[in-house]
Amino acid sequence: MKAFPMRRNTLVLGATLLILAIFAWAGWANWEYRRQEAERLLSGAGRGELVPAPGGGTPQYISPLIGKTAPAFELKDLNGNKVSLANYRGKAVLINFWATWCGPCRVETPWLIELRNKYAAQGFEVLGVDTEGDDLKPDDKAGWSKATAAASKFVAQEKVPYPVLLDGDSISRAYGGLDDLPISFFVNRKGVVVTAQVALTSESDIESKIQKALNQ
Amino acid sequence: MHPLTKRVGTAVMVLAIGVVAARGQGLGSKAQSRPLLKTEAVTYLFPEQVSVPAGKPSQVALHFRIAQGLHINSHTPNYEYLIPTTFSIPDGSGVQLDAATYPAGSLMTLTYDPTTKLSVYTGEFIIQARIVATAGNHLVEGKLHYQACDNNACMPPKTITVAIDVIGK
Repeated sequence: MKAFPMRRNTLVLGATLLILAIFAWAGWANWEYRRQEAERLLSGAGRGELVPAPGGGTPQYISPLIGKTAPAFELKDLNGNKVSLANYRGKAVLINFWATWCGPCRVETPWLIELRNKYAAQGFEVLGVDTEGDDLKPDDKAGWSKATAAASKFVAQEKVPYPVLLDGDSISRAYGGLDDLPISFFVNRKGVVVTAQVALTSESDIESKIQKALNQ
Repeated sequence: MHPLTKRVGTAVMVLAIGVVAARGQGLGSKAQSRPLLKTEAVTYLFPEQVSVPAGKPSQVALHFRIAQGLHINSHTPNYEYLIPTTFSIPDGSGVQLDAATYPAGSLMTLTYDPTTKLSVYTGEFIIQARIVATAGNHLVEGKLHYQACDNNACMPPKTITVAIDVIGK
């Protein structure tokens, strides 16, 4: 009968160790979950989502910037002049992030030129923000020179009439990351983002968004 | 059953249920997020390790996979403004890339631009790398540079690491 207390002690010790192990695992699991959530939130700060359209139409890009003042920026244009978004207060502005290696961006550019010319008299402007140097290091002078030359060549070839700004990557975070191109933000006369668009849609879709920016 | 055993058993079960429920709640909220982007367009498949004769040029077939619905430019895209896919091995790894042979691209025309014929890779593709390794074990971190698009949007150019353990014998 002496075996029972010993067996009981073993059982208690085993159970205690098991409980401690569960506590340790729960603590680790909780820490890991919080770490992953923090990473997700950090990486997703300001990022939008593509929401499928009812009936399988063009997905809507829902940016957290919609309804908020467009993040301020000052970038150099192709001639080295500083251009600030604040200079366009009172006008509706389409901020179009693009790059020469982006085929859909090249397709979209003639539409933007046409619409810019159509609505300029109503107080509308396009700001083309080039993101050519996305994978370039700041000290890569040759790389930046090549990127600027590529943008200049395309702008000259297409006779782009609106300002084209360089180093768009420096403001990408404020605009939710530029993981897909083209991305456009439609800003009203008060400087508020009224709608946004990611990927190539259609000229009529862009036009309706310009009208929204002009009228809201 | 001994009362103590019963109590311990109950406590363990309650704890386990609580922990599982807490984890489940966390996973549930995460599953609701819908990412906009495909973060990894290209994945390196294999080989992870190769043995080659030291000092002699050797062929290694590097296998890659492109995510469904995406394409990347071939090594020889049809337009100078497109970014070609390239493979390189940084200096100082003990392994030199003598030459790389890339597959021919498939011609692709996108609906929005029927006049432009792209030369692209889709699905899986293989780069034949001719390497020369010195004797010994080398953990090589090759680099694959590419730029991916789907039908309506493009992702920025990216460089991924191609990790291979090269044993020069």
